[in-house]
Amino acid sequence: MAERTPFSVSVVTPERAVFDGEAEMLVVPGEAGEIGVLARHVALEALLESGLTRIHLPGGEKIELATGPGFFEVHASRALVLVDDAVDVRETDPTRATAQLEEARAELARLESGEVEGDRWRIEQKIRHAENQLASGGHSR
Amino acid sequence: MASQQDIKRRIRSVRSTYKITKAMELVSAAKLRRSQQRIVAMRPYADRMLELITSTAQTLGKIHGLPLLEDRETHTVALLPLTGDRGLAGAFNAQVLRRSFVLEHDLQAQGIEVKWLVSGKRGRSSLKFRKRDIDTAWTGFSDQPEFAEAQAMAHHLAALYASGASDAVLLVYNRFGSAVVQTVVEQEILPLPRQVLKGFEEGSMPAPARGEVLYEPDPGLILERLIPAYLETELFRALLESAASEHGARMSAMRNASRNAEELIDLLTLIMNRARQAAITQEILEVVAGADAL
Repeated sequence: MAERTPFSVSVVTPERAVFDGEAEMLVVPGEAGEIGVLARHVALEALLESGLTRIHLPGGEKIELATGPGFFEVHASRALVLVDDAVDVRETDPTRATAQLEEARAELARLESGEVEGDRWRIEQKIRHAENQLASGGHSR
Repeated sequence: MASQQDIKRRIRSVRSTYKITKAMELVSAAKLRRSQQRIVAMRPYADRMLELITSTAQTLGKIHGLPLLEDRETHTVALLPLTGDRGLAGAFNAQVLRRSFVLEHDLQAQGIEVKWLVSGKRGRSSLKFRKRDIDTAWTGFSDQPEFAEAQAMAHHLAALYASGASDAVLLVYNRFGSAVVQTVVEQEILPLPRQVLKGFEEGSMPAPARGEVLYEPDPGLILERLIPAYLETELFRALLESAASEHGARMSAMRNASRNAEELIDLLTLIMNRARQAAITQEILEVVAGADAL
């Protein structure tokens, strides 16, 4: 197969820049289904849901990130992933993920009991994100 | 004059205070460094978020029907001072609260009702002491705020605004200048300032050929999601600034306390030496006088 042209990819969260570099291909969990991006992709803006973001590096290596909900932008051959949280699946921290899960479930319970108003979608996304981390942590251990 | 024993005891007590303040100074310095790194680390996210909002809003042209953008007559204002969970940080907590009370006074003079929300145990106890009705208090994370906490707060504020329970939300917090300079600022975070959508420096960046952008789903829906995210980001930034300010203020306060303790120890040591010398001289005089009398 012919070499693919690399393009620049950044994955940033409010806490840190998780990834900043070149990639051959990027697959993100779009709200309406996975979105795969190669170099010279048309300008795009999309909503992301919790899921797996896969970055294919030049040379065949692959980085998999469990990402929370957020936004995705491709502009002038630059892809930008803005998400709440992103964790490399090889470095998931079960304690942190469990804490996230419990917190999100408690929030959902409060929401269902009508105690607080809130955005149900967000909370469900949080639960999914925590579960994704826990599931991927199981594989690597 | 106090006896040597008394002075010794005082020196010991001041010295142990000195050890505590010195340790707190070092701990705060380390935490300050970490907080500053976090402010820097969140900058790319915040900048990109703003760009995204601006470009989406520009594509959309006219924005309407978004509850968080609705401007209305102000009857009730929610005040949210960001304070720390602990004291011993110089004027850090006091100056935020003082400004908040001034604001409350001014608003009430205009016939506007004030609703109190607060972050940090210090602020909460101070408001309770002054018999203010607290709508919501968030505590337990002032020195190391997480994004999830900012989200929860932003959510509550958005609900408060959208439901009409409050027509504006004012944030009062310490903006971080340096370890010794923290300035109290007030920021109206709701309704969202219009300039956010127009881009801060209009015309400064060449409008990209936005017509060819693919949106998934349509830009209206994306903007609807972006705006709460922007609110969360702004709150998180304010929390981080406040945390860095808290550590900075505590570090300077503790440095001053340590310096004062050192001076006090020097002074007390001098007094003690003098007292000891006086006692020795006295004793010699007595011995000599006794020998002369023989």
